[in-house]
Amino acid sequence: MTAQEERLCGLLLQEHFGEVVEKVGTHLLCNGNLNLRALVHETKLPLDLVKKSVCVLVQQGMCTFCTGRRGPGAPVEYQICGEKVLHMLRYPRYIYTAKSLYGDTGELIVEEILQRGQMTMSNTVSTVADRLTHNMPEGQCMDYSEVVTAFSRLVETHFLQRSAPMTPAGSSTSGGADSNPPSVTEPIQPETNPDCYKLPYINISGKGKRTRSDDGDAEQSTAKKAKTDNSESGDEGIYWQVNFERFHLHFRDQAIISAVASKLDQTSSEIVRTMLRMSEVTTPANAAFTQALSANEIFRSLPSTYNIARPILDQYLTLLVDDPVCLHIYSQIHATSFLMTVCVHLCSLVGLCHYLAMLCVRFGSRSARIFRLLLRKRHLEQKQVEDFAMVPAKEAKDMLYKLLSENLVQLQEIPKTPDHAPSRTFYLYTVNQLPTARLLLQHCYKTVGNLIERRLYETKENKQTSEKSMIITKIGISCSTTGRSPLSYTKVCVWSTCPKTLQVFVCSLHLVKLMSVNNCIDNCNRVLFSHGSSNARACRLK
Amino acid sequence: MTEVKVKKESTDPVDIENRIKELCQQFPHGITDQVIQNDMPHVEAKQRASAINRLLSVGQLDLLRSTNGLLYRLKDGQSASKIKGSDNQEKLVYQIIEDAGNKGIWSRDIRYKSNLPLTEINKILKNLESKKLIKAVKSVAASKKKVYMLYNLQPDRSVTGGAWYSDQDFESEFVEVLNQQCFKFLQSKAEAARDSKQSPMVQRNSSFATSHEVWKYICELGISKVDLSMEDIETILNTLIFDGKVEMTIIAAKEGTVGCVDGQMKLYRGVNPIIQPTGLVKTPCGLCPVFNDCHEGGEISPSNCVYMAEWLDF
Repeated sequence: MTAQEERLCGLLLQEHFGEVVEKVGTHLLCNGNLNLRALVHETKLPLDLVKKSVCVLVQQGMCTFCTGRRGPGAPVEYQICGEKVLHMLRYPRYIYTAKSLYGDTGELIVEEILQRGQMTMSNTVSTVADRLTHNMPEGQCMDYSEVVTAFSRLVETHFLQRSAPMTPAGSSTSGGADSNPPSVTEPIQPETNPDCYKLPYINISGKGKRTRSDDGDAEQSTAKKAKTDNSESGDEGIYWQVNFERFHLHFRDQAIISAVASKLDQTSSEIVRTMLRMSEVTTPANAAFTQALSANEIFRSLPSTYNIARPILDQYLTLLVDDPVCLHIYSQIHATSFLMTVCVHLCSLVGLCHYLAMLCVRFGSRSARIFRLLLRKRHLEQKQVEDFAMVPAKEAKDMLYKLLSENLVQLQEIPKTPDHAPSRTFYLYTVNQLPTARLLLQHCYKTVGNLIERRLYETKENKQTSEKSMIITKIGISCSTTGRSPLSYTKVCVWSTCPKTLQVFVCSLHLVKLMSVNNCIDNCNRVLFSHGSSNARACRLK
Repeated sequence: MTEVKVKKESTDPVDIENRIKELCQQFPHGITDQVIQNDMPHVEAKQRASAINRLLSVGQLDLLRSTNGLLYRLKDGQSASKIKGSDNQEKLVYQIIEDAGNKGIWSRDIRYKSNLPLTEINKILKNLESKKLIKAVKSVAASKKKVYMLYNLQPDRSVTGGAWYSDQDFESEFVEVLNQQCFKFLQSKAEAARDSKQSPMVQRNSSFATSHEVWKYICELGISKVDLSMEDIETILNTLIFDGKVEMTIIAAKEGTVGCVDGQMKLYRGVNPIIQPTGLVKTPCGLCPVFNDCHEGGEISPSNCVYMAEWLDF
């Protein structure tokens, strides 16, 4: 975990859970595995606060624990997963995806589970139904069964999964504690559980309840709900969590589809979408290729609304195979039909384009040209760069040196003689993709961190005025409801001067802007991350 | 009888000279002593030598050294008359420059080859230049370096830089304009193909243009003052490929088709970019010149960043 990532994790923890959790979290991030005692001692926080914050982290699935390294009797050690903390950055996107795929119900289910880390199915269903009912017009309410259907669809498509049992193996199994303590340095993967995507039978029926502002009613309803939970639902102990990997795969697929759409056309992108959807659940998460699909299968799975005839589909497929950018869609003639596989490394290509686009904006299109040239030809001398890119010598030198100083290109010296004299040395420029992607990823992390810091600063600066405006609106509402004389209200309004309201407005605008850009960057971020990891994998394979 | 006749002829020094000149004309690359000996077996070595010496002194013959001994070559009458009245040093320098052809030669290289002092060479070069026998051309490879070549020669591409240079300056704007025009042509072609609403295969195929078509379009536009060759246009199209705006495929073509080189034809077509500008550059941080110096609590920090403030108010 780099310094930038740690900083970002700290900021995110602070934003979501507050100062104390942030302190504990960053300490764990910086120091690796720690037991509770060491954590209390080093953070100098009270024991119960540390306990609570570790609880929060464990509940959110960001923290894991295992028996100590020093043997079976040693104290339990805690370990934080930075990557999972960084997922918090993407929460809005997960929720939005769920909304676009499964509507409001899906959105609320994912939102609830993200907020609480893990929940039982019955609990989720009742909470979501209640919330939906609350937002519906008077007299209507949400049926539990509908929420259950949405939930089961989310599970079917693997967006939700059962969380792994939280007990470190070996410590809780009765009788076998000392016989064979298994090494539990690795956190248990949810996928190892065969029932990972199996829905439990839950005995829940009814409708969502409306929470009243009236205290007595609310109490009654909660009491009722608690009773319902205790007596009827049959899924105690089975907790569900969001499957981040699945969401990331979905994002990857989206990136591929949009790339194809802008490179070729809408129809081809729909075909690729169909192909990806067909192999969604059957292909393992980190496979380089999707399962092979025959043209017949693709044709049958195409939604009928597209109206693509079979010969036209064949033509599109040939085009996809022929396209130099979509090179990664391979075809082989197998018996009578085409077998197509979509290479998901197309995503890495998209990542590449991300940094090319960045270069283009930052250093001008000619630098981007030089960069792409180096990518294609691998090693070039300065003179060759000038000739190929048709850039005047002085400018080319300037651009190359600038790219070099930003670490985006590398310079390799190949001496003709052992004395390394400059006149007898070849200077070759090259682009090394993996470090470049990592560099840009770090840039992204830093930028996001900067944006969050700026947002905190903006909120702090305008805290007083925004609070004041909130009070005023509250007073206004209470005035209108209680029917008190509007005179006091106008007084209050005069008190809040015009420039101040403007300030509040501008501030909120700033915050919205910061948030939205955050999402944009995150898109780039994720692509770069997957680009980096896929590249690294490729390197390891070599 | 014939023997006597030959003897008679060969003894005449003028005849020998003429015969040598004829031989030289037959072999424009030069002849060795052996060739002359074979041709006139009865002429004594002394006579031969005196004839050659005479021709050399008159300036009708060149003496060259090659791997297999000395070579005699006929000097063309023009140059012989041109450098008439100049001394040996001048002749030597002229000859070195002449040998360099249309690539030209640098004054320092002349010094190495002639073994004359630099001041002398400069004087001679100036002299020759004023006589319009040679000219100085600035090379594009090094702006300070002047190369000399014969006055009537067209400088080589490596010296002038081809169509992209005017007076040793790279015309980057000209290149940019051509780059844009080529792209425009290919793009309009691709758009026309897209609008044609034909089957996808036909659409794709009709969006391709050969380099010859692009060349013709550019020529007809008349934006270029100099004549551009098809290779020139292909280098421009290559820059478009490196810009990621154009794709190229090579297909086999029948020899003799327009735009066909070595049985293959290069096809280009405009393509759309894969992605929109990335999120990173939508923020000021993506373009910030002091990004690396930015730390919370430091002189430059996100809280007091002027770029950020400006961007937020934008």
